[in-house]
Amino acid sequence: MVRKRVPDWLNSSLWSTTPSDDRFHRYSPSPTAAVSEPAVQPPVPVPPPAAASRPQSSPTPPKSEIRDPVNDNSNNNSNDSDENGSSSDVSPEDISRQAQLLVELSKKVVNMRELRRIASQGIPDGAGIRSTVWKLLLGYLPPDRGQWSSELAKKRSQYKHFKEELLMNPSEITRRLEKSAGCDNDESKSESSGLLSRSQITHGEHPLSLGKSSIWNQFFQDSEIIEQIDRDVKRTHPDMHFFSGDSQLAKSNQDALRNILIVFAKLNPGIRYVQGMNEILAPLFYVFRNDTDEEMAAAAEADTFFCFVELLSGFRDHFCQQLDNSNVGIRSTITRLSQLLKEHDEELWRHLEVTTKVNPQFYAFRWITLLLTQEFNFADSLHIWDTLLSDPEGPLETLLRVCCAMLILVRRRLLAGDFTSNLKLLQNYPPANVSHLLYVANKLRTQGSG
Amino acid sequence: MVLVLALGDLHIPHRAADLPPKFKSMLVPGKIQHIICTGNLCIKEVQDYLKSLCPDLHIARGEYDEETRYPETKTLTIGQFKLGLCHGHQVIPWGDLDSLAMLQRQLDVDILVTGHTHQFTAYKHEGGVVINPGSATGAYSSITYDVNPSFVLMDIDGLRVVVYVYELIDGEVKVDKIDFKKTTATTHSAH
Repeated sequence: MVRKRVPDWLNSSLWSTTPSDDRFHRYSPSPTAAVSEPAVQPPVPVPPPAAASRPQSSPTPPKSEIRDPVNDNSNNNSNDSDENGSSSDVSPEDISRQAQLLVELSKKVVNMRELRRIASQGIPDGAGIRSTVWKLLLGYLPPDRGQWSSELAKKRSQYKHFKEELLMNPSEITRRLEKSAGCDNDESKSESSGLLSRSQITHGEHPLSLGKSSIWNQFFQDSEIIEQIDRDVKRTHPDMHFFSGDSQLAKSNQDALRNILIVFAKLNPGIRYVQGMNEILAPLFYVFRNDTDEEMAAAAEADTFFCFVELLSGFRDHFCQQLDNSNVGIRSTITRLSQLLKEHDEELWRHLEVTTKVNPQFYAFRWITLLLTQEFNFADSLHIWDTLLSDPEGPLETLLRVCCAMLILVRRRLLAGDFTSNLKLLQNYPPANVSHLLYVANKLRTQGSG
Repeated sequence: MVLVLALGDLHIPHRAADLPPKFKSMLVPGKIQHIICTGNLCIKEVQDYLKSLCPDLHIARGEYDEETRYPETKTLTIGQFKLGLCHGHQVIPWGDLDSLAMLQRQLDVDILVTGHTHQFTAYKHEGGVVINPGSATGAYSSITYDVNPSFVLMDIDGLRVVVYVYELIDGEVKVDKIDFKKTTATTHSAH
């Protein structure tokens, strides 16, 4: 890959190029002072080209109707074909972590606390470990290994049942209704000529029916949602061959995503489908589908569905428009982020919100609702999700800490910037060293109510 | 699952003012994929209305149509079925099965849709099926005044067609259906 010319700001003395595995040794004396210390050791920009030369992929669609007014210079951050880890080589920590995880996973009853502890440091990309660990963390697989096969079988057949029930089009449904009502007309009465016999319609079902309970009417009402889902699925990660393109693989993956979202929308009439759910679904499906165990990979769709439901259950309220202003809605979560920033870095908070008037809604909305999938490249976001899912405080709390850490890491640039440059920076968050980011986020926890 | 609406013989404005309100309330845009109309609309406004229900509209010329450029007959392929369309006043005796079967063989279609008699009928013979959707407004015909408004909606799903017959009898909409299966798939041969 051709290295682009290093931009000038990078050459300033603030940035020192430090080798990646020194990062843990550098911060041994844990500073009790404000967290501005890590900012002096800025994140090493990841090898793929920095912000200026990011490939201009198709812009992410505006997230449902009203949502974010200022979000139109948002770009998909994923790098093409850089799916397997931003850091080039596997460090010794990774290897030992892999060994530890494998040991943990092979136990008869997995110790969840231990698993969470190891996983929160990051899960290595190989050996399909991530797939299994995520399933355990999301509660899809019970800790007791012995129960795995029966649980999996149960859930998978449940999903298959959902699909059969909910994805049928009305023609098929009427056909099944007839079969069960026991009318077999045409076969026995195939006269060679003459009047065709008219038969009764079952349950008053006909395509133009306007009745509320009519399957045809519901079908036409659902078709709008289905079209929306279809559009979003086609736009998910357009730079990744796994999701996009004309290949057989991409098409089958898109079908799986579509089915999952349609089943979810039909099972949850209160929330249905909201733009953005496809982005939360994509990493889950990617990880499960790429499981090295063939049997698991084949059943990825069913597994992803349940894990998606579980993951979304903590964040559902962010997607519900009516709850926007309530104390569980997205606005309140953004306020909490704001508070967190104020606690840990008041100077930055004041500069951002008061001086330059960058309303956190302008950038944090997408960070929070989409669980940071759009801010980092795909591999990095998987790494972040490792931490989000494994932290015992829960994904939402962890997410807020990570967002806060993201702000703190670029504080120098933010403090030097005005409204426009700050907004631009935060809406196109520069590539960062994710391990460093997560380390800072972790420290925010131990600093407590600073 | 393709929905095809077949109707005709509206005779608006000469013999009827409009479709019955109960029919109009059911015919909303967005549900139907094709409309085939046997003719005798008679004016352009009716064509515009039908076009608003569905952009894919096919019309055959009836003897009272003011638009002279509709074709006398039309054939189209929807899914596995070939459909033929003709008003029917050209086929004498009017409504006679054998003569219509001749037309069907000429057009080489599985389902022939004709009108003119203003009576709903559905015949099956070894060449295929002949459907007459009747008059959607209940306008009087050349033969009789006793006409119930009716139209037909076909649900084409693979090799199977479900024909839903909508009739307005004594002010109420009655729906019946007819099942029809085709035995062999249409071979798309190059000509």
